[in-house]
Amino acid sequence: MNRFGYPDLGIGLGLRTTHYSNILGNRPPVGWFEALSENYLDTGGRPAFVLDKIAEQYPVVLHGVSMSIGGTDPLDFDYLRKLKALAKRVNARWISDHLCWTGVAGRNAHDLLPLPYDEPTLRHCIERVRIISDFLEQPLVIENPSSYVEFAQTTMSEWEFIARLANEADCGLLLDVNNIYVSAFNHSFDANEYIDAMPEDRIVQIHLAGHTNHGTHIIDTHTGHVIDEVWSLYADACRRFGDVSTMVEWDADIPEFDVVFAEALKAAAYRSDVREVACA
Amino acid sequence: MRELQTWMHDAIVAPLPPPADDVARRILPSRTLAPNERLDIYRDMYAIRMEEALEVDYPAVAALLGHHDFHHLVHAYVQRHPSTSYTLNRLGDAFSQFIAETMPRRRALYDLARLELAMTQVFDEEESPLIDANAIAAVPAESVASMRLVPIRALRLLSFDYPANDLFQRFRDDEPMRTPRRKPTWLAIHRRDYSVMRLPLESRAFAMLELIHGGATLGAAVVEFASRFDGPPRQDELFAWFRDWTAAGLFTAIEIEGT
Repeated sequence: MNRFGYPDLGIGLGLRTTHYSNILGNRPPVGWFEALSENYLDTGGRPAFVLDKIAEQYPVVLHGVSMSIGGTDPLDFDYLRKLKALAKRVNARWISDHLCWTGVAGRNAHDLLPLPYDEPTLRHCIERVRIISDFLEQPLVIENPSSYVEFAQTTMSEWEFIARLANEADCGLLLDVNNIYVSAFNHSFDANEYIDAMPEDRIVQIHLAGHTNHGTHIIDTHTGHVIDEVWSLYADACRRFGDVSTMVEWDADIPEFDVVFAEALKAAAYRSDVREVACA
Repeated sequence: MRELQTWMHDAIVAPLPPPADDVARRILPSRTLAPNERLDIYRDMYAIRMEEALEVDYPAVAALLGHHDFHHLVHAYVQRHPSTSYTLNRLGDAFSQFIAETMPRRRALYDLARLELAMTQVFDEEESPLIDANAIAAVPAESVASMRLVPIRALRLLSFDYPANDLFQRFRDDEPMRTPRRKPTWLAIHRRDYSVMRLPLESRAFAMLELIHGGATLGAAVVEFASRFDGPPRQDELFAWFRDWTAAGLFTAIEIEGT
């Protein structure tokens, strides 16, 4: 159990437009849904209606891409106000976003852009996470990024940066196991060393996803099935962190709901197997 | 940090990449990729993301233009109108105006873009309660002239130089897209049960609905209508319009001026 008391919700799925009718009509036995915050902040139409309906039936978690925790523009409190109101409306169990920056000088690239891992950047992120958590009146949950560049000015490993950020900003962590695999491939580091360095009592959630391997590098596309190596890392994470709310992301070439749901069931089986071995 | 982020952002969104030696000063190579090749991953993804976002909002414009021309239009557009919002939903707000400014002879394309912009706006508008089907008939006769019908928020009225709605329907029906002959048309775009609807109008009905949408009382709307069309609307016309518009769910309230 994490130190914040955020519950283990079991296995969840990302809430995607193409699955709305299936979910509302069939009420599948999914533990919870993760909604992309930005899709529901500025709409009074069908997305808002569907999210409210789903929040009546399932636990909902909000996952955003726009906080720009590592950004150097001022924090967007208009965005944060809307996010806080949405979280209250749907009784979001927690709110997460990414360790990244998204733009500069008021211009938004709408990407999860990488940070240099050095002391000034760490201090900057710690301060912003603290401010955001205070404003939202709950500990923010931060996701480790996938990335394709490393900066010359970096002085520490990503896992050291994230562990220190979590401890010093007193925030939770959303451990994206696929992101660890992707970045480990792109930057030639040991994914297991990364997982081992994570502070156990701050892991609130785990992400799983597919990706696209171009041979020379891997892009975190959230498409296709989770590959065996990522399942193996997930099993390692389960052994290390115990039962943690886990969610499967599938955002491109999204298949029928049953295909994505089958991936969630596979995650449940991995989790269960690890638990049984641990108890034996 | 600021300097690095400004540099990287500019390097990602610029039409041309920065010099390789400039990139190599800031970004390390991987075992398989040079620094500029690693940066190119972000540059490529930015271009794809902008194009995908605008194609979601403007699928018929993309179909009419074709992939090659749409690609170039998008990249010229985001150079002039980069996203300044936390949401990509606002990226295309100036797209139709950009088409008007940069492709002034493509008026049908401009009309189609306006139609698609209105559809995305209506999709996201706040939901409004609807008046009862008999609510207008229940207004006392002496109050009808001072009656003001309040439209739902999810309503846009558009007049076109070209049959934009027919063009959009061809896209929906997966039929070949061709620029049509010039022909003025009028359209109400609204939302009903969370679905975006397109209601074609003829010119007289559009004029009356536009006056009401602008806040005129029925009496004032009829007077203005009469000045434009050399006479007031016929009673059967008015009856049919309001019956259809109420059935379509275009009004959220009735107000009587002076009460």
